[in-house]
Amino acid sequence: MARSRSQPTELVPLTPVVLHILLSVADSERHGYAIAQEVEAATDGQVHMGPGTLYGSIQRMLASGLIEEVSHRARDASHDDERRRYYRATPLGRRTLELELERLARVVGIARGKRLLRDPKPA
Amino acid sequence: MTRRESRTTRAYRRLLRLYPRAFRERFGDEMLAFVEAQSRMPRYRGAGVVCLWARLAMDLTRAAPRSRLDALRDRRERKNEAAHVGWASQTHPEEEVVETLAQDIRYALRTLAKRPSFTLVAALTLALGIGATTAIFSAVSAVLLRPLPYPDGDRLVALWASSGGRTTERLLASYPDVMDWRGRSKTFEEIGIMRSQSVNLTGGDRPDRLIGSFATPGVFRVLGATTALGRTFNDSEATPGRGARVAVVSHTVWRERFGRDRSILGRTLILNGVPHAVIGVLAPSFQSPFGPDEVWMPITSIPSSSTFDRGVSNVWAIGKLRPTSSVDAARRELGAISAQLASEFPNTNRGVGAIVVPMREQVVGPMGAALLTVFAAVGLVLLIACANVANLQLARAASRRHEIALRAALGAARWRIVRQLLTESALLSFAGGTLGVLFAKWAIGVLVTLVPGGLPAFGDVGLDRNALLFAAIASAVSAVLFGLAPALRAARSDLRDTLNARSAVPTAGRRFGAGTAVMAAQLALCTMLLITAGLLGRSLGRLRTVDPGFNPNNVLSAEFRLPAVKYKDDASRAEFFRRLIPALRAIPGAKSAALVGAVPLSGNWSGSGYTIEGRPAPQPGAESRVQYNTTSDAFFRTMEIPLLAGRDFDARDVRGSPPVAIVNQTLARREWPKESPIGKRLRAAGDSTWMTVVGVAGDVKHLTLADPPTAQLYMPMLQSPNIFSSVVVRAEGEPAALTAALRNAIWSIDRDQPVWKIRPISALVDFSTRQQRFTLMITAAFAGIALLLGAIGVYGVMSYAVVQRTREMGIRIAIGARQTQVVAMVVRRTLAVALAAAGLGVAGALATTGLLATQLFGVAPRDPLTFALVPLLLSSVAALAAYLPARRASRVDPMVALRAE
Repeated sequence: MARSRSQPTELVPLTPVVLHILLSVADSERHGYAIAQEVEAATDGQVHMGPGTLYGSIQRMLASGLIEEVSHRARDASHDDERRRYYRATPLGRRTLELELERLARVVGIARGKRLLRDPKPA
Repeated sequence: MTRRESRTTRAYRRLLRLYPRAFRERFGDEMLAFVEAQSRMPRYRGAGVVCLWARLAMDLTRAAPRSRLDALRDRRERKNEAAHVGWASQTHPEEEVVETLAQDIRYALRTLAKRPSFTLVAALTLALGIGATTAIFSAVSAVLLRPLPYPDGDRLVALWASSGGRTTERLLASYPDVMDWRGRSKTFEEIGIMRSQSVNLTGGDRPDRLIGSFATPGVFRVLGATTALGRTFNDSEATPGRGARVAVVSHTVWRERFGRDRSILGRTLILNGVPHAVIGVLAPSFQSPFGPDEVWMPITSIPSSSTFDRGVSNVWAIGKLRPTSSVDAARRELGAISAQLASEFPNTNRGVGAIVVPMREQVVGPMGAALLTVFAAVGLVLLIACANVANLQLARAASRRHEIALRAALGAARWRIVRQLLTESALLSFAGGTLGVLFAKWAIGVLVTLVPGGLPAFGDVGLDRNALLFAAIASAVSAVLFGLAPALRAARSDLRDTLNARSAVPTAGRRFGAGTAVMAAQLALCTMLLITAGLLGRSLGRLRTVDPGFNPNNVLSAEFRLPAVKYKDDASRAEFFRRLIPALRAIPGAKSAALVGAVPLSGNWSGSGYTIEGRPAPQPGAESRVQYNTTSDAFFRTMEIPLLAGRDFDARDVRGSPPVAIVNQTLARREWPKESPIGKRLRAAGDSTWMTVVGVAGDVKHLTLADPPTAQLYMPMLQSPNIFSSVVVRAEGEPAALTAALRNAIWSIDRDQPVWKIRPISALVDFSTRQQRFTLMITAAFAGIALLLGAIGVYGVMSYAVVQRTREMGIRIAIGARQTQVVAMVVRRTLAVALAAAGLGVAGALATTGLLATQLFGVAPRDPLTFALVPLLLSSVAALAAYLPARRASRVDPMVALRAE
């Protein structure tokens, strides 16, 4: 597709939805519904994705080469639905995610320096 | 493994169509699986489904348009790539939207310009509909929606007395009663008492008349009056027994009569012969709710000294409710207080109640209902206009089928085509709305001058912000109404069929296409309007042939009021009248002349209860009622009211002679059905003297021409001379020619006596039907327009249908059908539709004309003649409109028609 040759630097900053989807598929392949569930759980329900938002974002991320569909996925026999497709981050996606996370870390660092944000208390 | 889909999933499947097709094909199944999984989650079960749907709806409105834009951008980029074989430029979605919109508009303008006649007819049709609706809305807004010009206007009420529990008849109240309401009530913040009357202003060059209002200071408090200069009068200045002779003038009088002279404060005006010191000028914004009152005086200045007696009813009352109170609470409370008063003063107050009317209702009166009727009528016209434009669009969409199919084949998404067609509709409705606003501006001007007595609105009636907003909304709604169906239909049409067959042969079930439904709908609406207009027309016709009971032609009337201070007693008033009558009869060109208390149809009248001698006296307040009037001799001759028995009043009937009366036919029949009333005696309620009936006169329509036969009673003016009186003079020729002579006749008796409302009685008769004529004129105008639009609609639909069926016509003719048979076939089918539509319209009218009942006279809301004639008229017009395309169809050359395929 047209925008598949994008550079990571052109793609950041990411929208919250794209960021969370990338986070979700960075370490393992997931299907759409699992992505939505994981994001919702990880953010305590703050990021809620409907089907349109989710698959709209997936389509755009596929188009810009941030994620890809897994062709030979291991089929988890019992709970699988044949309509489901699995996605995972591409190398470009991972580089973009790293770039974005570094950017966010820098932002958090600046905020700490100005004492706008307290250090997380050790558990 | 597959499980049965949940209902949510099935519904969502339909909504998926809102996404671009490619997206749907790629992700549709996954999205359905997503929704299916969600719908099985515990938190979305049961009532939670509402929450799920709220989330899905939010998601849909956000994601679907975005997805559409993405698809569009993709296609554009592919095209660019094809063209440049290079890198696609990234466009922001906003730019994209604006650019597509601009493209849509450019294309729409081109398309509309290509068919100027269609564009013109459609825009003018819409302009008419939107303009008419906007104009009437302006009036509705000014009269019914605009807040009353008083602080907390929604808490103001008018208070009237009732008799015998009849709450429809609003009677003047008695001053002491209202003061008791005020003293004992807890629901009112304040109650004020007032009465407006003509007031003689003398001391200037020539006597003049002002509209005066005698009031308690409570009136100013209720209305929140403020002054431009000085002050209004206070409670002690308006207390009976110590009333001060002070006056407050309206801002208009101050400006126009006194040239804004600030030294007016302290000046003395001679009002009704009594000097009053001016203490204030009201603020320019202040308006009296009951009319253009020009000078305000304490109620103690009112000429009739009996005003403050209990049982004498001649004041108006207005009240302001407490914020925590309500009209219903006030009604209950005043009802209870009235009951107390009835037991405390049984002689005067038995059967006397109170009526509480919200001020808006009081001010607007029956005009509110009339306005809403007209508004409903124009609303229907707008609907018809929309239906018509939709029809034209449908017909046109058919002729554009190839263009649209081609565009679809070349890759235009369906929603893009719908959008394109909707853009055309929006442009049309914008043009229609703009023209409509211009039309409305003109129409409002006409409307304001035509409305009988003016619109009961405070402030101007015009195109204000509300009206413009209304026009904008009306245009937008119209665009959707007339644009959406044709657009969706056009976009749905099947590509292959359209491109393959040059003109599709309609299937048997849909012989006339979809336009038929639209046509039927508008014919049904048109039927309802025609029936309304027909009923109003027949009603007015009946009204105009009503015999008023007198001959209104060639009679001049005038009114005057003798100042009570100058004409203190009956003797002096009787003397004035006795001298005036010969002076009037001496006017050159006058055939006869008389004096009368209240001229029929002038708006003045009096009513009273009465008792008959020798019959058990009814309960006070429960007496039969009668309209009463006082006249000099020759009144019946002057008005040409037939004297059916007995004699007229004459020189015998003066002060001190035995009291006499003349009854009308209705009263005579009611009370003495089997004997002559002559010589019988009766008296007015609360009066102690018996009057002997000396004559029987014909019935007269006194209040309106629509009055039912009413009991009427006449007394000789010289026996009970009132300060207010009218003159009637029957002229040999044109009555208006006697105007100056009439005035001089009065001035020959008293140089200082003002006289007003000099007008021919025929004008009063005309005036009395102005309301009905106005409503009829407007409704008939709209019904006529609707019929015209309907005819155009039928013509459009049938032309289209005939073109579509050219081949069928050709075949019929080829196998031997005669031209007349083809014409008959088309006309017959139109008639079938028209009759079905008329049936629907008749059903609708049957259900709704009951609302008209108050506007009708002598015609039932379900008048059979109107209900029979209108469908006949409608079918004839429809048949005529279908005849032209039918004849065209019958001339089809079979060879040409068949070869065209």
